[in-house]
Amino acid sequence: MTDIDEAMLIAWVDGELDEVTRRRVDRAVAEDPALAARLEQHRRLRARLAGHFAPIAQEDVPASMQAMLASPTVVPIARPSRRWAWATGGAIAASLLLGLGIGRMTGGPDGPIAVRNGAMLARGSLATALDSQLASAGEGGSIHIGLSFRRKGGGWCRSFDGAAMAGVACRTDAGWQLLQAVPGKGQASEYRQAASADPRLLATIDGLIDGAPADAQGERAAQAAGWR
Amino acid sequence: MSFERDLLAILPRLRRFAASLSHDRADGDDLCQAALEKGLRARDQWQPGTRLDSWMYRIMRNLWIDEGRARQRAARTFAPEEAGADVGYAGDKAVEQAMTLSDVDRAMQALPPEQREAIALVLVEGLSYKEAAAILNIPMGTLTSRLVRGRGALIELLGEAA
Repeated sequence: MTDIDEAMLIAWVDGELDEVTRRRVDRAVAEDPALAARLEQHRRLRARLAGHFAPIAQEDVPASMQAMLASPTVVPIARPSRRWAWATGGAIAASLLLGLGIGRMTGGPDGPIAVRNGAMLARGSLATALDSQLASAGEGGSIHIGLSFRRKGGGWCRSFDGAAMAGVACRTDAGWQLLQAVPGKGQASEYRQAASADPRLLATIDGLIDGAPADAQGERAAQAAGWR
Repeated sequence: MSFERDLLAILPRLRRFAASLSHDRADGDDLCQAALEKGLRARDQWQPGTRLDSWMYRIMRNLWIDEGRARQRAARTFAPEEAGADVGYAGDKAVEQAMTLSDVDRAMQALPPEQREAIALVLVEGLSYKEAAAILNIPMGTLTSRLVRGRGALIELLGEAA
């Protein structure tokens, strides 16, 4: 039975033999106690090694490794932002959202936001759109105007929607002051749909609006008067 | 998304493989972490439809080999001037090893790397010869001869001889 070598014995243990060879090893082992003992050694070795390391695969994976594989689409700031927006609906949420979401845009000379005397003011194309675009005309461009409305205490506000951000701005003596801004449609984030339908913006508008939004005629008149 | 989810699903096995290659559990988790980082960085190179576990085993194994070579280089470079310190360190290590490592860990440590990785893939991870040879990028005959020699050594070391 010397034609059964060590490689065949371990292949038997590893389940790597074809049916014919396996039977041949079986017959040889049945007739040769030394061969049977050697096969048993290999069987025990494999069982011992596998058994020694097996519990590791049953353990919980360390949190540090799990964190590396956490879904990147879970945006930690989304939940607190939304909660704060619902709770306060005002300037705190606006400043936080701006700081987190579009803060870098304020740095560039051509960004849509300027900070003056502690207030965030629309500038550039955003200011132009707020000044001149009519929601009722359905005018295109990179920024869409949603609603135009009078705020409680007087003055005009408009909601807008762009690729980078959506928000609500109200006309002041210094210009269009942003009361709230959220990431726009261009920044795909699963937790929100169309930016203009964002519940945070709607909540802000609900808190500001005096009566009903302007109709097409009212909007044109307000524009003609320079939103004063 | 699904890449991370699939990685998470095979992570327990990757961790086990890392442990069977490494000196101890802490080293194993370091290796596993490094392999995860590398896998995430190189995710574009993984071809969907192929086996993610084989791909990750290969990444981990290559990291482990590279790390071993770096350690050898460092040992050769610093051995002459730090021979005295090394002796003391080696002594401490041996004591620590005797206290914390099991027989199986010690026996695996004693194997040459090319035998240890073959044993780990086939006996611990339960891969087929074909899968293991592909991961190690060696012919089947080379794999089986490493399995034979590695197992012979383990039987000696573990006192499994009848």
